[in-house]
Amino acid sequence: MRRFVAAVVDFVVGDDVWVAVGIVAAIAATALAAHEGLDAWWLLGAAVPLVVGVSLFRAASA
Amino acid sequence: MTGDLLLVLGAALASGVEMVEATTIVLALGVSRGWRAPLLGTATALGVLAAATAALGPALERIPIDSLRLVVGTLVLLFGLQWLRKAILRAAGKLPKHDEEAAFAEELERARATGQDKGPLDGYSFTLAFKSVLLEGLEVVFIVLTLGANQGSIPLAAIGAAAAVVVVGVAAVFVRHPLSRVPENALKFGVGVMLTAFGTFWAAEGAGVHWPGEDAALLALVALTAAWSLAFVRVLRPQPVPA
Repeated sequence: MRRFVAAVVDFVVGDDVWVAVGIVAAIAATALAAHEGLDAWWLLGAAVPLVVGVSLFRAASA
Repeated sequence: MTGDLLLVLGAALASGVEMVEATTIVLALGVSRGWRAPLLGTATALGVLAAATAALGPALERIPIDSLRLVVGTLVLLFGLQWLRKAILRAAGKLPKHDEEAAFAEELERARATGQDKGPLDGYSFTLAFKSVLLEGLEVVFIVLTLGANQGSIPLAAIGAAAAVVVVGVAAVFVRHPLSRVPENALKFGVGVMLTAFGTFWAAEGAGVHWPGEDAALLALVALTAAWSLAFVRVLRPQPVPA
């Protein structure tokens, strides 16, 4: 069971867990902003390259 | 219409890339140990994948669209970013590219070194072909189900994926050699861009956002994602040292 869960997590999350954490946080922030009536369509689109960029530079300098 | 076209293209590209990798192993088994068992293994795996798509598809389509878009959009985005991140690092020379010729040679050597089964069916070839096609195909099933369910057309995504399987299969039969001329990293880059754009679009919609321009925003997201991905490749690529 533990191996199955680990395989599913690896399938979804992949090599950098911080990408998943950053993206989930950005989606939560988008939902919160939309709930407050803000026009937040740009938020996730801006957060994705930011999160990926940090991950890429960390991987490249490792 | 734009969404449907991108859906078919995304499913076909993802399926094609995964099938090129599986075909390398099936070819090595066929060349070294005979074709019957690996072809039977491949057909069985494709049957299992088709059955999984047919069984899970209707269940996914029953989930309310907003919940589906939030959960599945998040999964597609995370999954797409894995493909895109690796493709960017490979294009920038920070990760080695997948070499089909080397994989073929390695598999050929291993297949020749392993003893032939005495039964009517070569168990080693059958199992390895089945496992390879199934594992590579699971990612395609995930993409077909998630993209198809969110766009409201799993059959359309399945047609795109199946067409790519046929194209790769026919090409392999004619070439009888690993399809090493297929620009695998460029295709993976393209699939990563599309999955990331689709995932961003749906996850934000599921979170309660209304995109300006509605479905046309998807096309803008594809262009924007491709642009920042190429910019990262350029920045990360080592600069030539002046002589």
